[in-house]
Amino acid sequence: MALSDLLKGFLAKRWRTSKACRPLPLVFFQFREVLKANNQALELIADMGEKLSGEYLFDLRYVESTVEEMIAAMHHAIAAVNTLTQDQCAALPGIFVPMEARVRAILGKRDDREGPALLWLAEVEARHWPLVGGKAAHLSELLHNPRVRVPEGFVITTRLFHDLLDLNGLRPEFDRFEQLLSGHLAEEEELATLPRLLKGKLLSAEPPAGFLAALADSLKRLASISEAPFFLAVRSSAQEEDMDFSFAGQFHSVLQVPPQAEAVYRAYLQVAASLFGAKAINYRRQVFPEGGPISIAACCQCMIPASASGVIYSVDPMEPGSQSMVAVGALGQGQAVVEGQVPTDFFRLSKGELPQIVERVLAAKHQALRPTGEAAGGLVLQMVPEGQTAAPCLDEQTLLELAGVAIHLETFFKRPQDIEWTVNPQGDLYILQSRPLLITENTKGKPLLAEKLAGYELIAAEAGRVAYQGIGAGPAFRVDTLADLKEFPEGAVLISHRDSSQFVQVMQRAAAIVTEVGTPASHMATLCRELRVPCLVGVPDILARITPGEEITVDAEDRRIYRGRVGELLTYQATTSMDLHLAPEFRMLRRVLREVSRLYLVDPLMQEFKAEGCKTFHDVLRFIHETAVLHLVELGRDDRCLPGGLARRLDLPIQAGILAIDIGGGIAPDAPPDQIPFAAIRSIPFRAILQGMLFPGAWHQEAMSVSFTDMMHSMLTTPQDTLSGQYTGHNIAIISENYVNLCFRFGYHFNIIDAFCHEVERDNHIYFRFLGGATDLAKRSRRATLIATILEAFDFSVKTRGDLVIARTGNLIQGEMERTLEILGRLIGFTRQLDVQMRDDQTVARYAEAFLMGDYDIAAREG
Amino acid sequence: MSNKICRLLVVDDEAIVGKRLQQVFSKIGFEIETYTEAAAAMAAMAARPFDLVVTDLKMAGMDGMEVLRRVRGMNPRTQVIIITGYASPETAELAQQQGVFAFLAKPFRLDELKQIIFRALEEQKGGN
Repeated sequence: MALSDLLKGFLAKRWRTSKACRPLPLVFFQFREVLKANNQALELIADMGEKLSGEYLFDLRYVESTVEEMIAAMHHAIAAVNTLTQDQCAALPGIFVPMEARVRAILGKRDDREGPALLWLAEVEARHWPLVGGKAAHLSELLHNPRVRVPEGFVITTRLFHDLLDLNGLRPEFDRFEQLLSGHLAEEEELATLPRLLKGKLLSAEPPAGFLAALADSLKRLASISEAPFFLAVRSSAQEEDMDFSFAGQFHSVLQVPPQAEAVYRAYLQVAASLFGAKAINYRRQVFPEGGPISIAACCQCMIPASASGVIYSVDPMEPGSQSMVAVGALGQGQAVVEGQVPTDFFRLSKGELPQIVERVLAAKHQALRPTGEAAGGLVLQMVPEGQTAAPCLDEQTLLELAGVAIHLETFFKRPQDIEWTVNPQGDLYILQSRPLLITENTKGKPLLAEKLAGYELIAAEAGRVAYQGIGAGPAFRVDTLADLKEFPEGAVLISHRDSSQFVQVMQRAAAIVTEVGTPASHMATLCRELRVPCLVGVPDILARITPGEEITVDAEDRRIYRGRVGELLTYQATTSMDLHLAPEFRMLRRVLREVSRLYLVDPLMQEFKAEGCKTFHDVLRFIHETAVLHLVELGRDDRCLPGGLARRLDLPIQAGILAIDIGGGIAPDAPPDQIPFAAIRSIPFRAILQGMLFPGAWHQEAMSVSFTDMMHSMLTTPQDTLSGQYTGHNIAIISENYVNLCFRFGYHFNIIDAFCHEVERDNHIYFRFLGGATDLAKRSRRATLIATILEAFDFSVKTRGDLVIARTGNLIQGEMERTLEILGRLIGFTRQLDVQMRDDQTVARYAEAFLMGDYDIAAREG
Repeated sequence: MSNKICRLLVVDDEAIVGKRLQQVFSKIGFEIETYTEAAAAMAAMAARPFDLVVTDLKMAGMDGMEVLRRVRGMNPRTQVIIITGYASPETAELAQQQGVFAFLAKPFRLDELKQIIFRALEEQKGGN
């Protein structure tokens, strides 16, 4: 008998009585509708997540159409759960409205326009990231990190940027500007005049009504938690800044700003107007040609009175495999370091559990960037008293603390980091910024080259430090002032006394860059890495040894400079490859997934587990599913609705903790009301599964030992993890004579088996879904592979996406169905905690083989 | 294909498609040209034929079916692979009749396309 027949049968019989109690089969049918819609939406989310792996070719149309499908599935799921629960989730459609709007704003590239103009840094959430920009997004994450001290502050968001454009009539010019930048054939002349116009108008833009008052309130709040004298650092935080691109030094920062609303607003205008500066425009055209429009937010933080500041890289970018990191620092404020204005101390540290200093090169630090001391604020280079110039800028203890923080931040952000730090006179370490460190690994060998090179004249060997690896040759062009850049010829090698991020203007034309002072941690060095300009810095007295105009070859791998053009070296140039993650399709998909796939609503026992607590699509689906299951459980407990039938515990020889709700013929009529023995189970599919679980050896009683890192993984939400989180609650089996819907929540994973099994072959189906785990995604994914391998061996059609496995089979004769369900039962027991053991791919193959051979003890032997 | 460099033409109005395929196929030694406009691609084809053409189906102006028809008209040896996000059975059927080598639904794994292209080249060789 098909389900609908069953339904009709019931409708015709006795259940159409009380208003509160609908016929159970109807409820049950509605429940399955909820599951269906939920599963569809979850599958779409997983599908989109998989597309970010880089193995796929997809386009914007894919993103748009998948989002539309997903939104439709969400509406369906919300409607279905309200039908099932008779509008117990009436709030859900209203809660979903802004979520849907945010995702649509991403598709329409408007997600940086909707939201507040001011946001307290500590209150920034992932959904605010497009509004606050990359730098503020990272800093807000760090504010919640107890290992790191970050100056307090707030963000002036891109909402203000857009309001200023609209209020001051700048929108048409801005749109034209972005259009010019995105065009393949830029109108050079217009691109020279239009930004100037925009910059001028923006600098004198009128604020929206009430903004200055709100800003004053924020400043008052910040003053109340700050020590006097209180000044601010107003730093750019562009939409994409620090996410994929460094934009290092491309936008303006205003430091030591007095805490008055008008002054901070003016500082913001300067920051925002730098979007239209020549430096930023050149950078975007070179690095970010298809980036789309950019808007600028600003972090307004308390200025830390700095005794020393600098930069630390959590990995030595020149030797990424070396387990060492490098730091540079100077006295005073760090802007002097990143702009290459002052000589810096250099430190190399080993990266072990307890970092150690392995190299220290100290500079004579005659100058330091410090506050002017005036009420109007500002910083100025000041002389350092004799006797203080030679000492290291950081004592050993603080340096080691800094190294520890760098290692921590690398782990925290899951990528090597480029970190700006500062230390106050009390010795407290502050982190001002942490962004991904861009590394290009060079794996090319250099056989036989040395012999050929011996014939060339060496101008310098062991020359300075490598800012970016590579080889470049061309006529030397000397830059003494920034005005010289205008004359910079195509293909020349830039030589200069100091380094400057302004060199970005000519980087695309430069074969290489060599400077006498400077550090691999400067903005210029960062830009060189992005624009792939071979660069040596800190090569003493090189200007005196090169005649401008003569051809030279710079080997920024072996730190050598040759006279003449060394063709053999040039053949070693590494080929470049397009970084996938910079493509607009990828960035849009990532943004969508950020709104959609994270799971915040984790534990149904927590107070915030309610509709109002949902932040993402995944939360909504999680809430819907749990609500639907609980609804059945509650019905099952309601004597009026289920005369004689409760959600009843099973009495099994294994600790599976299953509650069964019988909706018709699933349990023997003469069974006890509670603690149902196996023998009393009449549900054909459920009985088959239980039989498998009870098969000798298949159910692992011993808890697997979970390593500390596995444990941490289960507790932290990692950004790449689209579908993780702890599922808790009961294991519920809703059963009838021919049906089972079994929901298992074992700690961190979640397993559904939905099966219909009777004599009519074509009605039979098994749906199996498995998700999650307590370990890192790699191990969870291996377990998913293990499960998939086994299910495929039993002729399931299987889809895996990360740690999600979906398997289906059907159209089988009843005997075959029972056999397959029995295997599933064994599989549930066998793989319950196995993710812990899934160390590598070989293990997966071994365990799959063992299971297929009936060797279920392997886990106990190897665990 | 061992002694002759394979010439591959890609036509897709979304730039990312050409870019990704450029990266993948130039790395394995193909000579690849990519176009976002079918008309320009056909001009290139007329100037110097390609061994293989990968084209999107739905494009403004000339669509993938028209590209298929013209390419087969210009050079019947050239194999055409259509990639699309909208594959209706009718279109697939029509494309088969017009001699398409394969129909691939977007999004796809880059490796899938690679295998199809290798197969097309094998068949071309066999046809000689």
